[in-house]
Formats: sequence, structure tokens, C-alpha cells
Amino acid sequence: MSEPARPLEEQVTLLELVDRVLNKGVVLSGDITLAVAGVDLVYLSLRVLLASAGTMDRLQLSNGDGS
Amino acid sequence: MIYVYALAHGLRQAPGIPGIDDAPLTLRRCAGFDVVTSEHDAKTESTEEAVLAHARVVEAMMPLATALLPARFGLAFDDAAGLEAAVEERAGDLEASLERVRGRVELGVRVVGEQGEPRRASTGRDYLEARRDQLAEVDGLHDSLAARAEASTRGSSGGRLVLSGAYLVDPERIPTFREALEQLESEHPELTFALTGPWPPYSFAAVAE
Repeated sequence: MSEPARPLEEQVTLLELVDRVLNKGVVLSGDITLAVAGVDLVYLSLRVLLASAGTMDRLQLSNGDGS
Repeated sequence: MIYVYALAHGLRQAPGIPGIDDAPLTLRRCAGFDVVTSEHDAKTESTEEAVLAHARVVEAMMPLATALLPARFGLAFDDAAGLEAAVEERAGDLEASLERVRGRVELGVRVVGEQGEPRRASTGRDYLEARRDQLAEVDGLHDSLAARAEASTRGSSGGRLVLSGAYLVDPERIPTFREALEQLESEHPELTFALTGPWPPYSFAAVAE
């Protein structure tokens, strides 16, 4: 069962969201158990998806006539 | 293990949605703060699903609280005493951060530049000058947006990503912010702008180290 590719706007929003949830927000010292395994992979896959030139070119096109 | 989603003021109840791994949410009172948590037997699995569940809980808290500080993904404690102690230790800083974000939302802006080298880069000197101009230009973009916000912060940029900024704004000023962005967009047809939000104030939740 293959899902259709996420629309670009959704991808940008998802990257922004994951970036915030993983890298921002309050961290308290003390008795912390940070669960990190696997997170980098989730993040990386989204980042690569969005940073690829093809993706950004499509973003440009979706904003108007392109160049 | 007690997993923390966010600290807040003015929260009467936890949102009526499940947390990570469908765990029920619990509202705890710690050192004068309302803390939304869920209990788990083991460490949280760091899946995309878990990250999104965390984000959904924080999002659902926004309309219920008067002020809210999202926790970073993975913030968890062995027991209630550990959570209480950690919150109490930073109570002053947390209070100050909550005051700063009260009634405000975060907007995200990403600006992507052209591919390839800066213009007019025929010599090394030209390259450096063009690069310096570009950096000044990006500083200008950020400053124009920051002027429309109560607070702002810049994330790391690199490659074609020239600006990754977060701006804390009053919700009624979102249209003004958007207009400012559209103005910049028309002045810089060579750049691509992406505006996201409104977000819970993740980028303004950090307490001093």
C-alpha cells in the first residue's frame, strides 16, 4: 500500500515541525532520560527531502511562473 | 517513566487526545506550573509517529493554556519526584520564559537562495565582496522581519538555505508580518520564501543554561 507523495507545502511544514520538536523547546536538568536513538534518521530523511535542489525548484514553481 | 510534553499556566485539564504510543495524558502540578505528561514503561521510541504525537499534544494545549512552553522531544523523568525537583530548580527561568511567550505565537521563515556562486564572482576578491553583500542582505531580511516581532531568533543556515528564522508575534500582528514578508519577496525575486506557523513557541522556550 503506497501513499501518494506529500505535497510540498506539507513537506516544508513537516520539516519545520520536526525541527522544532527535536531541537527547540524546554530541556530541564536533573533526572533526564533523553530518547535519541532513531531521531536523527527521522530528521535526516526529511531534511534531505527538503534540501534537495529539485524540491526547492518545485517550491519556486509553485509560487509563481518560475524564472 | 514520566514523559513531558509542555509546561503551562492556566491549564485546567489535559487535552482530550492520546499521547505518544496512545498513552493517556495526565495534568500534573509542579512548583506552580501545569505540566502535561504521560506514563510509559520504557524509553520513548523515537519514531516519526512519536514526534508527531508530541507535536499534536502541544498544539492541542495552545488554546487551553494562557501561556505555554513546549518541551523538547524526549524530556522524561524516572518518577514524579524527579520531575518536581527539575521544575523547581528552574522555576524562576521557566516563569520568565512563560511571561515572554504569553499570548504569542511563533512564525517560521525559511529563505532559499539561488543555486551556484554569487554574482560578479570573476576574481577571489569579487567573490568575497559578493559574499559579504549577500550576508549583509540576509541580515537585512532578518532585521526587517524581527522589527515586526516581539522577539526573534536565527537558526543555522548553509548551502542554498540563507535564512532560517523564528519570530514571536502577537496573533493579531500576523497580517502585518505577512505583509512585510510579501514586501521582501517582491524586492528579492531571486530568493524563495517559505512562511510557516503559527507554531507553539518552541524556539522561544529555552531557559538560560
